[in-house]
Amino acid sequence: MSNAEEISSKQKQIAVSEFFEKNKHFLGFDSLQRSIITAVKESVDNSLDACEEARILPTIHVELNRQKGDTIELITQDNGPGIPRNSIEDVFGKFLLGSRFHAIRQTRGQQGIGITGVVMYSQLTTGSKTNVISKIKKESSAVFVELGLDTRKNRALKTSENRDVWIDKRTGEEIEQGLGIKTVMKGKYQKGKQSVYQYLRMTSIVNPHASISLIVRDKDRNIIDEGNWIRTSERLPRIVSEIKPHPHGIHLGTLQRMLRESEERKMTSFLRHNFSGVSMRAAREILSKAKIDESRGPRRIKAEDAQEILLAFQQVKLLSPPMDCLSPIDDLLIKKGLSKAIDSRFASTVTRVPSVSQGNPFQVEVGLVFGGDLSADGPIEVLRFANRVPLMYQQGGCLLTKALESIDWKRYGLDHPAGRGVPKGPAALLIHLASTNVQFTSEAKEAVAENEEVYEEIRKALLEVGRGLKNYLKKSSQRKKAQEKFELVNIILPEISRKSSEILSRDEPDLAPVITKIMNAVFCEEKLDWDKERQTATCSIKIYNYTARARAYTILVKWPENTTISIVDNERGGRKETRGIWAWRLDALNPGTCTTIEFGVSGLVKGEWTDTDVFFRGNGDIIGASKIDETLLNEIRKSEALDAAESEILNESGSLEPLIDRAETNEVESLQKIIPKTNNEQLSLSEWEVE
Amino acid sequence: MTIGRTKTKEEVIEALHSVAAEMHDKMMKGNPPSMTLPVRTKTNITFDNKLQVYKYGKKKSTRDATALGSARVLLRSLHITEFIQQMIESGKSSTLREMYYISEGWGNGKFSTQNESNNLAEDLEIVTKCIREDFKLRPEEDGARIIGNVTFEEKNRKGEWMRINCRDDVGDSGYGVPYNVEAEKLRLIDQDIDFVMAVETGGMFDRLVENGFDEEARCALIHLKGQPARSTRRIMKRMSDEWKKPILVFADCDPWSFRIFASIAYGAIKTAHISEYLATSEATYLGITADDILAYDLPSDDLTKSDIGALQSELSDPRFSTGWWKEQINLMQEIGKKAEQQSLAKYGLDFVTDTYLPEKLGVLGLNY
Ligand SMILES: Nc1ncnc2c1ncn2[C@@H]1O[C@H](COP(=O)(O)OP(=O)(O)OP(=O)(O)O)[C@@H](O)[C@H]1O
Ligand SMILES: [Mg+2]
Repeated sequence: MSNAEEISSKQKQIAVSEFFEKNKHFLGFDSLQRSIITAVKESVDNSLDACEEARILPTIHVELNRQKGDTIELITQDNGPGIPRNSIEDVFGKFLLGSRFHAIRQTRGQQGIGITGVVMYSQLTTGSKTNVISKIKKESSAVFVELGLDTRKNRALKTSENRDVWIDKRTGEEIEQGLGIKTVMKGKYQKGKQSVYQYLRMTSIVNPHASISLIVRDKDRNIIDEGNWIRTSERLPRIVSEIKPHPHGIHLGTLQRMLRESEERKMTSFLRHNFSGVSMRAAREILSKAKIDESRGPRRIKAEDAQEILLAFQQVKLLSPPMDCLSPIDDLLIKKGLSKAIDSRFASTVTRVPSVSQGNPFQVEVGLVFGGDLSADGPIEVLRFANRVPLMYQQGGCLLTKALESIDWKRYGLDHPAGRGVPKGPAALLIHLASTNVQFTSEAKEAVAENEEVYEEIRKALLEVGRGLKNYLKKSSQRKKAQEKFELVNIILPEISRKSSEILSRDEPDLAPVITKIMNAVFCEEKLDWDKERQTATCSIKIYNYTARARAYTILVKWPENTTISIVDNERGGRKETRGIWAWRLDALNPGTCTTIEFGVSGLVKGEWTDTDVFFRGNGDIIGASKIDETLLNEIRKSEALDAAESEILNESGSLEPLIDRAETNEVESLQKIIPKTNNEQLSLSEWEVE
Repeated sequence: MTIGRTKTKEEVIEALHSVAAEMHDKMMKGNPPSMTLPVRTKTNITFDNKLQVYKYGKKKSTRDATALGSARVLLRSLHITEFIQQMIESGKSSTLREMYYISEGWGNGKFSTQNESNNLAEDLEIVTKCIREDFKLRPEEDGARIIGNVTFEEKNRKGEWMRINCRDDVGDSGYGVPYNVEAEKLRLIDQDIDFVMAVETGGMFDRLVENGFDEEARCALIHLKGQPARSTRRIMKRMSDEWKKPILVFADCDPWSFRIFASIAYGAIKTAHISEYLATSEATYLGITADDILAYDLPSDDLTKSDIGALQSELSDPRFSTGWWKEQINLMQEIGKKAEQQSLAKYGLDFVTDTYLPEKLGVLGLNY
């Protein structure tokens, strides 16, 4: 089966078109400005979804041409798999016909109402038909369809159809595959925070693998707005797999239907095969709690027993559902996406481990950028996303905003008047909720509805980036102070000495003791760079002793240790302290002297390692480094030992199940708490110390 | 303080060298270089009742090179020292603004704002007990204009003494007072006047000149040009000291004009280190007073919020602690009005010279 056929074969239909004609505001068509954004959004979301499923790097073009009055011609075009001829009328002419309505996994489109709404809105406001061009790779020509909508019968009215070669107007080349839509609707193009431009900009931030372009023309065909966001990553989002429901999210009716339709002969296999997160041990425990014989046939389970099973679901410790149904953006890509659209000094991102709410897997990602070109007065820019779709309206009523507002940002270095509302300062904050089932407050899918677990996860992620920001601000003020001192003793003081001696015709004084008096501290300066030729990240740490005594230290540095990442060009040797921390013992550093530690890290890409923490062990503080927390080191060592044991068992038995079964009780959780994710730069040791 | 006595070149250079020497000595002993100077905040400025002027108190602060900012200031003062020494030796002078631009070439010692260079010049005055005229530094601001039967001798660029009578040898704009009015540059030769009258606004100064008031009333007229420059205040002080003539101030009736008078009579906070050298404690406020607004029924404006605030703070200012000032300020607040000098024109162009001034001067016993 081709991609296009595979997608369309899953389509099931539900008739409600009349209802939606009466409720078009739910669909986001409530004002002239908004309607045009909604239309673009429905089309672009579909293109991204389709490309992702067909494993194509998306190239999407959007064109808006103003016509007479408040009407706009909308043209969109993608390079996706296209839609088979036979499905076109259903996709564009029927409500609630989507490929994913019944599947549990993370996609942008969820309900199968999106693009039909656009067709309907165009027809209602201008009487215009919608033109669809679809080209499937294996067919020799594209199909051109013009269609309208019979809203009472919930079906499309095709007015013309023909086949032809599809030539790209902008390049003059034949298009191999893709989908094009052209329609005319009432609408108004407006620039600003809520605009097609902003929607596409936000979309490009969370889809670094997509190239998106926009052209907006006025009545006289002059270009009045333009955007071109080129892909910064060739990596398609992971293929998301469909998953079986998790017992925690199941309702009685669904359970009964599943039991009825079951082909298994025994209850144990029914539970293990139809649900995610149920091991053999758990299945037995559930059945014993529900007082049901393990070998009973599922079809013979009565309503009362089903009720008992539901209760037992909540009492038995279960594994989380598999998380490969989610498609997080990933730390580095968020960083890339943000830096593509926003120029800043500091960027920190956190991808939380996936979690579950009522059986639905979800995952929270947060990115914070600070400084640079960002404006310092006024509230920070909040970029909300659900399943990679930008949310542009109803910011105040959204769970993501509420979680953001609940943080005491003053503690993390942002201005937060009265501790309420969105904090102020030169920052932008991205929040992405990936979930198999994003609950919105309305059909318009603009604000995420309340959910305790999601709220807590967002808060945790925000606190993590907040700590990162605080750490960064502290570090940069320390660094500034140190730099000032260096300038003072290395540049200004010698000049004062020279000038005053010159004026007075006296000998120059020996400045060494003066410098010691002024500095009276040990300083540490770290510098991270990228060696393009050798494709390694380099780190250099300079330590200056400006005190009157000799000092001896062990210097410890955090690095992104991983099986594929290693330390290279490390002439001083040193040793591994624990996972992610390397240590060097330094010889006594005499007053007024300086020493340097240099090493490289291979296996990284540029921009992946831009910030580190330096620690020390020894007497007397070092400005620019923090004293190592030994108890924390021990914890990391312990968790590393546990990991090693885990992989040993894995090698012996070839399966993780026994270990996970054992770990189910509590180890998995505590493991997750202890092990800082290697690509998570925020969780620094010194912060743990503080908290 | 020995201010007021003109210092020799050698003395000035020596004083400046003492600043460099403090730094050098400290470094020789292994300590950060430093510069000691009086605290220049309101808390360290007190009214000297004996001299009737504002002076800095005894609090000292040390600026040392333990922070980058202060280290830069120290370096700058060494550059200034060198620059001044060069000017003294080559017989040049420069404006403060020129020095600011010249500092572009001082590398790490360059100023980042004009204010910084102005403040540092003041600091050096205070530390060395010299005045900026000793440093050959000129202010940007204009000096005053003088018209009247007084004769000065000014040293011109060729180093020759030039005699100028401020009635016969000048045009309508009068004699322009140079930035340096010390004895080395300006001598007070002769006069045939009964008093000196300082006038706030140019409009009124020109009116009095046109009406021939200087001759009629036998006085020297000085145009203050708003807040008077240092040289204006200094020349008034010299005329008062050397000629023993009364100094009268004729200004608008508003709180800001009162402050102009206070800076003439008692000194200003910014120049408190040289108050006894700039301030003429014998000066008298002639008008316009709050009384005048009522007595002459002058056209007036309502006091603004900031006017009222200024009056309020003047009530707690020792410079306005006399009964007469308190009365005037209170009366002004009561009627809520202020008036300009030129409001006298309500009764015609000659009213000020024919009626107002003769009556006001008469009260002081200056009849003509
Ligand atoms: N550009 C496209 N290329 C390929 N297939 C598409 C494209 N646009 C839509 N489709 C197919 O048509 C289906 C219906 O799209 P529609 O927008 O109506 O619903 P949806 O995206 O599933 O859900 P939602 O209502 O949330 O948008 C999609 O699920 C997809 O299978
Ligand atoms: Mg859709």
